Amino acid sequence: MLRSQRTEALYALLFLAPFLIHLGIFFVFAFVRTVGFSFTDATLIGQSSRFVGFSNFVELFREPRFLAALTHSISFMLVVTTLQTLLALALAAVLNQRLRGITFFRTVYYIPSVLSSAAVTVIAIWFFQKTGFLNTFIGYIGSVAPVLLAFGGLFVLAQAVQVGWERWRGVPVPWLDPALATISLVVALALTWGLVGLGVVRPLEARPPEFTWLTNPDRFLGIPIPLWSIVILNTFTTIPTLMLIFLAGLQDIPRSLYEAASIDGATPLQQFFSVTVPMLRPVTFLVITLSLIGTLQMFDQVALMGDAAPLDSIIVLAYYVYNNVFSGEGKVGLASAAALILAGLTFAIVLLQRALGISEKAH
Amino acid sequence: MKKILVTLALAMLGLASAQTVVKLQGFGGNDTAIISSLVREIVNPALEKEGIRAEYQGIEGDYRAALLNALSAGTAADLFYVDIFWSEPLFASGRVEPLNKYFTPQELAVFNRNLLNAFTLRGNVYGLPKDFNTLAVQFNKDLFDEAKVPYLNQTDTWETFKDKLKRIQAALKDVAGLCVVADHARFGAFAYATGWRPFNAQGRTVLDANFRRAFEWYTSLVKDGAGKYAQDLGEGWTGGCFGAEKAAVAIEGAWIGGFLRDKAPNMRYGTTLIPLDPVTKQRGNFIFTVSWSMNAASKNKEAAAKVLRALTSPEAQNWILSRGLALPSRSALANSPIFQRPGKENELNRVVFQGSTGVGGAVLPFKFGALDGGNWMRPINEALQAVITGKKSVDQAIADAQAELNRIVR
Repeated sequence: MLRSQRTEALYALLFLAPFLIHLGIFFVFAFVRTVGFSFTDATLIGQSSRFVGFSNFVELFREPRFLAALTHSISFMLVVTTLQTLLALALAAVLNQRLRGITFFRTVYYIPSVLSSAAVTVIAIWFFQKTGFLNTFIGYIGSVAPVLLAFGGLFVLAQAVQVGWERWRGVPVPWLDPALATISLVVALALTWGLVGLGVVRPLEARPPEFTWLTNPDRFLGIPIPLWSIVILNTFTTIPTLMLIFLAGLQDIPRSLYEAASIDGATPLQQFFSVTVPMLRPVTFLVITLSLIGTLQMFDQVALMGDAAPLDSIIVLAYYVYNNVFSGEGKVGLASAAALILAGLTFAIVLLQRALGISEKAH
Repeated sequence: MKKILVTLALAMLGLASAQTVVKLQGFGGNDTAIISSLVREIVNPALEKEGIRAEYQGIEGDYRAALLNALSAGTAADLFYVDIFWSEPLFASGRVEPLNKYFTPQELAVFNRNLLNAFTLRGNVYGLPKDFNTLAVQFNKDLFDEAKVPYLNQTDTWETFKDKLKRIQAALKDVAGLCVVADHARFGAFAYATGWRPFNAQGRTVLDANFRRAFEWYTSLVKDGAGKYAQDLGEGWTGGCFGAEKAAVAIEGAWIGGFLRDKAPNMRYGTTLIPLDPVTKQRGNFIFTVSWSMNAASKNKEAAAKVLRALTSPEAQNWILSRGLALPSRSALANSPIFQRPGKENELNRVVFQGSTGVGGAVLPFKFGALDGGNWMRPINEALQAVITGKKSVDQAIADAQAELNRIVR
């Protein structure tokens, strides 16, 4: 190696050193230690530990709480990844329109992801309480249902009358003609207001449902209700970040493709599925990978939920690991084994996802 | 001139190195200010001649996780707090120094026996009680007056107590009698009154008929209109509801005094003992306490023992007591004139202190043997929650909790 090359390599290493040291200490060293611990019966405060072979792994699969955590983690990952990928894509497609003031909406929709998850979780605990916002809101909607139904019915009626009249006159207006709809809206509003004033239609007494979200041990689609609350919460806070990635991807798609497609007579929906989705494949791969890893390792929302929900209905693998280390004598050996299973699972799922066709290359 | 300066610097360096620094570790928040002042005003002046200086570091956030981590990494302080709640596994681990070597039996005898026993394991004392708390009932006098309900007093039984709460809730529509928490740390006091104990002679937890009686009564508070579930009121503890006047009664320890001072300084409240079980005519209570314990790996054990002595000296405890910050762990201070002073906070402290004595009835330390308290309580807390929220019947909830406890307590 030439002297200049050596100097260059030395400088490169020097610049890389902070990262390499960080990686060495917090990843390589920690990983090797975890592997080591997983074969021992080490505890956090114990003075010595013994080699126990694979018995930690065997014990884990006998423990109901670990099995619950494993099932929760996997179902949480599947549901949240699907939900947030689809919703983020839909939101990005909407926010990619060239409309006046769209930047405002992009900012507004990004806000949930900037909020601290501690704050969001605390707000969510209030939101999901029996007498919290969600139930009160459902109760309110239930109480004004007659008014809303009357309004909806009158709107449909007014629109039908107008469209019928125009078509009878030979004007081919579509059913949802914006000008006629505006008139129908005003008419329906006025009529509803009149009916409510006359007492013909009146709101019911507000009766918020007695449904409990966080303390309910029941299951819906095999997932405990409190975990569904976390699903909603997590989807809400992660969509914005994924949306932003999709938005960047969308803006990279050449407009000429859409122009060509529309010359060929493709409808907007056809354009979306035949141009947008295939062109977004590399971005979708990134989004799904990030989402899979993030959801499998979700910890903070379960930890912050605390005693607001029964542990066995919200526990996930990452929290299981934490809970084993920092309660009682601190079962480091067992927790390390669980952590390795979590790491292995993450790795396997990302590999599987690659193998199953969502590639990194655009078509 | 230069020579003088160098000599001076060397002399100062020598002085500094001659001084032994004893590190203390405990809770963050208020404790940081209180213990730092105590150390500055009482402990350090007393030990100055011996060349010992104490320094307090408060840990914000999860104290237990931080302490366990520090102990396992060998970076823990010389003296640290150990909460009775998770003390036993830690004492059994050998990471904490037994104190019998450093203190004579006479020196140990001055502490409240109940408290010292709480930190004794297999004949060894592993910590000196820093201070303590028990539960008491606080009631908002204005709300009671408004509802025209007589004040709570120490002759109240579960029945009269519940009846008064019901009358309050019926008269004042927006106020709950009590906000009920699904927590053994409150419910347990009532279960102890019935004669039930967390562990039987065989060391097992049996949720027997006594437990069931207390369980039924406690969970019926919500169903019978004497209280509301705390979470439905958006609160996590009975003090939170009380401070916000969402509830007329709270069941808390002396810690509620400082909270109310900030949150509702003008509230007229009274304090009385936990109500009596109408069957046994007993009451139950917990002792919540924290010890000062010594790190077995400390390099300054002798110095740490001296700091420990100063931290729990009569002067130190009087200093804390006179500021109304905590209750002293020395039996002699029970007769302190401070307790007899008039005023709502003094009454609170007096009743909480009485809670640990004979009047308190069945008073058990808030600890659960070799088990982690959090794990042991979880099945009971979840059973309470399931019944209060109407998700399970009493029978079902108790059966489920028993099954889970059988799994944990082996």
